[in-house]
Amino acid sequence: MGMLKDKDVLLKIRDLHIEGYSDEEWIEIVHGVDLTLHRGEVLGLIGESGAGKSTIGLAAMGFARDGCRISGGSVEFDGMELTTTPKSDLRALRGSRIAYVAQSAAASFNPAHKIIEQHIEAPLHYRIQKRVEAQEDAMALYERLRLPNPREIGFRYPHQVSGGQLQRAMTAMAMACRPDLIIFDEPTTALDVTTQIEVLAAIRDIVDQFNTAAIYITHDLAVVAQMADTIKVLLKGNEVEEAPTEQMLESPEDDYTKSLWAVRSFKREQKSRPTDGSPPVVSVQDVDAAYGETKVLEDVSFDIYPGMTVAVVGESGSGKSTTARCITGLLPPLKGKILFNGEEMPPRYQDRSWEQLRQVQMIYQMADTALNPKVRISDIIGRPAEFYGGLKGTELKSRVDELLDLIELDPKKFYNRYPPELSGGQKQRIGIARALAAEPQFIICDEVTSALDQLVAEGILRLLDKLQDELNLAYMFITHDLATVRSIADEVVVMQQGRVVEQGPKDAMFRPPHHPYTDLLLSSVPEMDPNWLTTLLEERGVDNIGEAAEV
Amino acid sequence: MNMFVLGYYAFLIGLSCLAAYYNKRSAFLLLFSLTLASFVLGIVGGESALHAIAASAAILALAAGTSYAFREFLVMITPHETARELRTAPLTASFGMFVIFTYAIAGVFAPIIAPFGEGEVIAGAFAPADDTMLLGADQLGRDMFSRIIYGARNSVGLALIATMLAFIMGAAAGMLAATRGGWLDQFLGRFADVIMSVPSLIFSLLMLSIFGTNLAVIVIVVAVIYAPRVFRLTRAVAGNVVVMDYIEAAKLRGEGTWYLIRKEILPNSTAPLIAEFGLEFCFVFLLIAGLSFLGLGIQPPTADWGSMVRENATLISFGELTPLIPAAAIALLTVSVNFVVDWMLYRSSGLKG
Repeated sequence: MGMLKDKDVLLKIRDLHIEGYSDEEWIEIVHGVDLTLHRGEVLGLIGESGAGKSTIGLAAMGFARDGCRISGGSVEFDGMELTTTPKSDLRALRGSRIAYVAQSAAASFNPAHKIIEQHIEAPLHYRIQKRVEAQEDAMALYERLRLPNPREIGFRYPHQVSGGQLQRAMTAMAMACRPDLIIFDEPTTALDVTTQIEVLAAIRDIVDQFNTAAIYITHDLAVVAQMADTIKVLLKGNEVEEAPTEQMLESPEDDYTKSLWAVRSFKREQKSRPTDGSPPVVSVQDVDAAYGETKVLEDVSFDIYPGMTVAVVGESGSGKSTTARCITGLLPPLKGKILFNGEEMPPRYQDRSWEQLRQVQMIYQMADTALNPKVRISDIIGRPAEFYGGLKGTELKSRVDELLDLIELDPKKFYNRYPPELSGGQKQRIGIARALAAEPQFIICDEVTSALDQLVAEGILRLLDKLQDELNLAYMFITHDLATVRSIADEVVVMQQGRVVEQGPKDAMFRPPHHPYTDLLLSSVPEMDPNWLTTLLEERGVDNIGEAAEV
Repeated sequence: MNMFVLGYYAFLIGLSCLAAYYNKRSAFLLLFSLTLASFVLGIVGGESALHAIAASAAILALAAGTSYAFREFLVMITPHETARELRTAPLTASFGMFVIFTYAIAGVFAPIIAPFGEGEVIAGAFAPADDTMLLGADQLGRDMFSRIIYGARNSVGLALIATMLAFIMGAAAGMLAATRGGWLDQFLGRFADVIMSVPSLIFSLLMLSIFGTNLAVIVIVVAVIYAPRVFRLTRAVAGNVVVMDYIEAAKLRGEGTWYLIRKEILPNSTAPLIAEFGLEFCFVFLLIAGLSFLGLGIQPPTADWGSMVRENATLISFGELTPLIPAAAIALLTVSVNFVVDWMLYRSSGLKG
């Protein structure tokens, strides 16, 4: 990268300050960040949520979202100072010379218009191409991005194509005017690993081919390692360090960067099933389930023994969460039964006794929607204890204090607070405390770490592990993240399209030979090696990646 | 050319120059275009037109000043949390609050404020205003001012009770429908549709003719007419809350419907419901005023703004504005409540920029 000359500089951000408006005052959220991007260079911006990644990405287009303003510094794009450019000129720049790819393509496409209509809007508006030309070009781009039926797919509506395809269509749309700079804001975060590969390959391919510069924003280090030439690490609106990708991966300098790199280090001893003949806590036996007419589970069976963690993995739509709904009784199975400590439980939760309800607790993926925002923390945690244990007054208060201690939050500080005042990790801890308050034997953890930053997620995993040791809990751990599985699971159940395709102890599952689907899942998890994607694509062949891969 | 006209233009031009000098773009544009408009109006309408403009500007300024002072007053006397919310209120909203506050005072202390009783005949029919009668007398010689003060108590009080009843019925049914779902939801929904499909005025006229026009009947009929609207809104709002994971968690804990409604759903739907309360109050108030105007609402000699308009309507043909005063009282309250509701809706819809 050293040979890039100054005249190739496309984007130069100097001492950028951005303020956000909250609680009636302006608070600085980005404190003087510098950034230089050359033509054809891909810069990876990484950091936790709240680090200012997206805000800086938007500022590169001279844009500040509602409630934010650029309060200082300069943004120079190809010799043009964006902070002082009038709005009309900025509008002409965006879409034609700078494009933006958002995290959720499903939310960014207008559901009422066909994909190709939205694609050709910009070229037509800027009079770059005529209608037919623009459509031809769109189809060529769809082909380049390996979308199926490139000549036809554009004439569908956004809801008629899959998430990964839509994300690729969005990348194609960003390329419509052949911009000099594309900003990718977490484009694969919402996708499954197998779909993610397709999108990553497509993005890298198209950026290479048209020599487009890109800013790639993500919190996933392994992904950024595949995409970026240079990596910049951000923390709370400050730059931590910047270096070429390989150098950054091999020898990070700052302590914060090192801690990010070391996140996946948490690992614990794998436990095996108890040998004293005790029955499994939960035993799912030949369960079939359906939503209306659509069958979503077929013949699902597995056992979870006391004190063990069973990870259930699979893509979205594979029936992981539906299995959890069957166990909790929210969705009564069509066939089969759920045994708890050897006893059959009624299929509907309404028919279960309080004792049975108490024993099975759940921790949710989105702590935001799992905690009532208008209820005090003390009431959220205290309610199950009050409800099942009949605790009152000082007894209840000391139980809540005890639970807050257990989840490593200071009771004095958190007792009277409301959920919106807490950070994502703290909310998730409250969710855990609520589950523990019922003193269950078995907890279902539904993607509990996937909405959290890696450092925070690791803290949650450690906490869950500690609690398991202290309270001999059994966990059913639903996840699509195989790194999490590696660190905490004892047994693994792999699901695909509503069926269990493989199950067994973790060490056996991560050792070949695998079921082809397990193999596909395992090999799709990005690794920190910058050449991983290239190697993988060579192995699988270009037309046989991700969803399209033969299983 | 007299001193007033000279002063008028000098004042406007001076202010425009000041605004321009201090770079207040919008203020300058407003003032200077007012100056230009005044030239035209002065030529066409003469001095009286300029007087009218000056008077309305003064009234606006007075209202704005009052609202500003009232808001600062509220910010000072309320606790910290509420004060922070109040500080975001626009002047229109604090004007609305001020008017509502005034009406409340008038209603609560009516017997002390009003110089005469509401049914007391003290002068000849349509006697003009004098020292004892601020607004003159009505068609039977009762003091107009006293009757308006009492009217605040009767009309507003009745509308408030009817709205509250409609809310209790509608909100309870809506929450129940959203939480339980299934056939109960369908039944309540279709029942609400049936009530809404009958035109409200015809429905109330019918009911009042059948059951007679006493206060309890009016309240119940009006509440039944407006409950379905509240039901629909509550059901929609609660419907967004019941799908949350915390409701699922509470259900799986084995909580009953009543707990779910009271502790989990209600706290999350109060903001839109309060805003809706304000809106519905306006409609209920207007309906009751309309019924009174038709002679089916509050019965004489009880003072009520709706019937006061009707009783004094003949005076309009003599060019007197007296019958319009109760009408203006109705209009002012409706507009004020809407100002406050607008602000609340704005806040609860999350449109804050």
